[in-house]
Amino acid sequence: MKLSKTSFALMATLLAGTALPTFANATVTVLGWPGGSEETALRATVETYNKQASDADKVELLFFNREGFYDKLQADMAAGSSAFDVNLVATYSLGRYAPYMEPVDLGADAAKVFGESVLKTMQFDGKQYGVPTDLSLHFMYYRKDLVDALIGDDAARKTYGEIARKYLGKPLQPKDPDSWTWDDWAATALYFTKQVNPDSPVRYGTVLQMKNLLFNMMVFQSLPRSYGGDWMDKNGNVTVDSDAYKTGLELYKKLYDAGSSPKDSLSYEYAETNAAFASGQAATALQWNAAAADLTSTEKSPAVAEVTGIVAPPAGPDGRADHIHGLGLGLNKNAKNKEGAVKFLKWLATEDAALLYARSGGSPALSPDVVAKVAKERPDLVKLGEFASKYGYVMTGATSASALPVYELQAKEFTGYWSGQQSLEDALAHTKAGMQDLLKK
Amino acid sequence: MNHLPDAGSRLGVRRVWRIDMALVTRAEGRMYLTPLVGFLLLFLGFPAIVNLIYSVSTVTFETLRSPVLSGFSNYVAVLNDREFWSSAWFSLRFGVLTASAECLIGLFLAIFLAPLLGKRPVLMAPLMLPLMVAPAMVGLMYRLVLHEFAGPVPYYLFEWFGDSPAFLDINNAFRTLVVVETLQWTPFAFLLFYMAYSAIPLDVREASSLDGASPFEIVRWIDLPLMKPTLVIAFFIRFIDGFRVFDNVYALTGSGAGGSTTSLSIYIYQAFFKEGAIGKAVAASVVLFVASFIVLHGLNRLAGRRKL
Repeated sequence: MKLSKTSFALMATLLAGTALPTFANATVTVLGWPGGSEETALRATVETYNKQASDADKVELLFFNREGFYDKLQADMAAGSSAFDVNLVATYSLGRYAPYMEPVDLGADAAKVFGESVLKTMQFDGKQYGVPTDLSLHFMYYRKDLVDALIGDDAARKTYGEIARKYLGKPLQPKDPDSWTWDDWAATALYFTKQVNPDSPVRYGTVLQMKNLLFNMMVFQSLPRSYGGDWMDKNGNVTVDSDAYKTGLELYKKLYDAGSSPKDSLSYEYAETNAAFASGQAATALQWNAAAADLTSTEKSPAVAEVTGIVAPPAGPDGRADHIHGLGLGLNKNAKNKEGAVKFLKWLATEDAALLYARSGGSPALSPDVVAKVAKERPDLVKLGEFASKYGYVMTGATSASALPVYELQAKEFTGYWSGQQSLEDALAHTKAGMQDLLKK
Repeated sequence: MNHLPDAGSRLGVRRVWRIDMALVTRAEGRMYLTPLVGFLLLFLGFPAIVNLIYSVSTVTFETLRSPVLSGFSNYVAVLNDREFWSSAWFSLRFGVLTASAECLIGLFLAIFLAPLLGKRPVLMAPLMLPLMVAPAMVGLMYRLVLHEFAGPVPYYLFEWFGDSPAFLDINNAFRTLVVVETLQWTPFAFLLFYMAYSAIPLDVREASSLDGASPFEIVRWIDLPLMKPTLVIAFFIRFIDGFRVFDNVYALTGSGAGGSTTSLSIYIYQAFFKEGAIGKAVAASVVLFVASFIVLHGLNRLAGRRKL
C-alpha cells in the first residue's frame, strides 16, 4: 500500500496528538468527567490553580468520551494504569474503584465547606476517597397556582378530604407543599387526577418515574428512607423487606393504579417526566434537581415555568430524606505524582476553590455559609446545598462495589410489583435474596 | 478456487494448484492461506476459546486475566435462572411473530405494488427508507412518537377519541415492540420478494392465464412455488434478526417492567455489564450458540432430505 504525502501528514499529526500529553510538562494528570458543565468548570478551576502552583504541581487535564466511561475507567485502573494521577469517581461506583485508589485526607475545613453528608458521598469503608465536586439530588416540583387554588377554595378542600379518606383512609386537609408528608403529597396527587376527581384542571396528579432503570430507584429511595428504610442494618443484615419499603412501594402502586400518573409511567425516566410536567398536565413531580433549569425556563417550559414551585421531598415519620449522589475526584493508587495530586485535591476542597468551581458552572453542594457567597450568581445551588446538608443521605452499602447491581435488582423487582407481575412479598423476598448475594461479595 | 491436481501428479511430478491463470504449489497455496487462517484463529478462534474458559470459571472485571476454573456452575446457574427462560421465550415469540408479519406484509406489498413499481421504479426509494435508520434511533424515535405529552400519535388519539392507550405498559409493550420492528424491517422482506417476483418470466404467467387460471390461482400455483426459496430465506433472516433483537427494544422499553421485555441479547448484556456476572453471561451465550447450531443443523438436514 502506498501512502500519499497527505496520508503521512495526517498520520504524523495523529501520532503527535496522541503522544503529546505524554511529553507535556504537567506533572499532575487529572482524568475528569468529559463534556457538560463539569468539564467547563474543571477547566476554569484548574487554570486558576496552575497560576499559583509550582511547575512540579501544575495540573494537566485528560478527558475521554462519556460513553462507557466507567467501564473504560475500571479496565484502566484494574490494569494498574498510571496514565492519570487523579481520577473521576461517582458515589454509586465508588466501591468498584476503591481497590485501585488511595484514601485522601482533605483536612478539617472540608466539612465546613461541603458538610458531612456531602463528604459521605465520597466515602467508602469510612475512608474519604475523593473531593465531592458535583452533586445530584431530587426536588419536589409542584404547580403553585393549582395548590394555592386548592388551599383557598372551601369546596375543593372538602373534596380533597373525601378523596384522602377514601383512598388513603385518613382525614387530611390541603397544606403548603413545604410541610407535606408523603400522605399529603399522595392526597394532592389523587385530588388532581382526572380519573379520581373529574373536576381536576389537569389530567394527572403526579408523574412517577417507574421504568426498570437504576436511576429511577434513586428517585424512589427517599420515600422509604423517610419512613426509616435502609439497605442494611448496623450488623450488615439486608433490611429491604422492612415496613418502610412496603409503605413506599404500596404508595407508588396505589397512585399508579388510581391513574394519578400517566399510563406509560412504567416506561418513564428523566426526559419523559420533564415532558409530562412541562406540558402543564401534571400537578407534581419528584424529579432530579438538574431539571430545575428547564422547568423554570419560560422558553423551554412556557406552560409551567412561572407557576412551578420547588421544595424538598415530603416527610415521613423519620423526617425528610433526599437521595444524594455525586461526582468527585480522587487519588489513583498508581499515581506517578501522589504528592502533587494530594496537594491539588486538598486545594480543591478549600472554600475558594469550591466557590470558583461553582462560579464556573459546576454544581457543588456547599454548606449554607459558603453557598451564600454565590447565591446571587447561582441561586439553584442554594437549594441544592440546603437540601443536601439537611436531608441528604446515602444508603448503607450504596458506595460498595455492588451498589449499581443492587439498584438494578431493585429496579427489576420493584417494577415487577408495580406492573402487577408479582406480589409485594415476592418482590421484596427476591430483592432481599439478591441483595444478600450481591452485598456479601 | 479450484483444486485441480494435474495428470502429472500420478507420474511423480509435483502436484499443483490452479488458481485462475496462475499455477502455484501446495506449499505456496498454504502460504497464501496463512494470513486468512491466522486472522480467523485470532479474531474468531481466540475469543471462542476465551469464552469457553470463562464459561467454566469464576471471573470478574478485576480477575479477567486470572479466571478460576469452577466447573459447570455457570451453566447450572443459567439453566436454573427463570429469567433466562423467560428471555428465551420472549426472543422466540418476538422472532417468529415479527418474521411472519414482515414476510406476509412484504409478500402482499411485493405482488400488489409490482405493476406500479414496474412503471415507477423511483418509488422503491421511499419504501426502503426505514432500512436506513439505525434500530437504536428507531427506538428513540418511537419513545418520542408514543409519548403522551410530546408524541403525535397520543395527541391525535386524545383529540379524536378523548383517550389514548398506554403503548408501553405491561399489557401493550410487547405488541408495540412487534409493530415497531415490523414497520422497520418489512421493506427488507418486500425488497427480496419484489426481486424474486420480478424474476419470474412473464410468459409463464401468460401461459397459465391462457389456460384459464385466475389471478389467485396464478399466485398460488405459479408465483409462490417459484418464490419459495426466497420466502424461506427471507423468513429465516428475519427470524434470526428478530430473535437476537437488542437495540430498538433497549432504547424503547429497556428490559421492561419486571424484566418483561428482556430478550436473550439483553439478558446476556445485563448479566455481563450490569451484574458483572461474566461467567454467567458467557455461559448463556454458549448455550444460545449450541441451541442455534442444533436448530440450524436440523433445518439443514431437513432441507437436504426434501431435495432427495
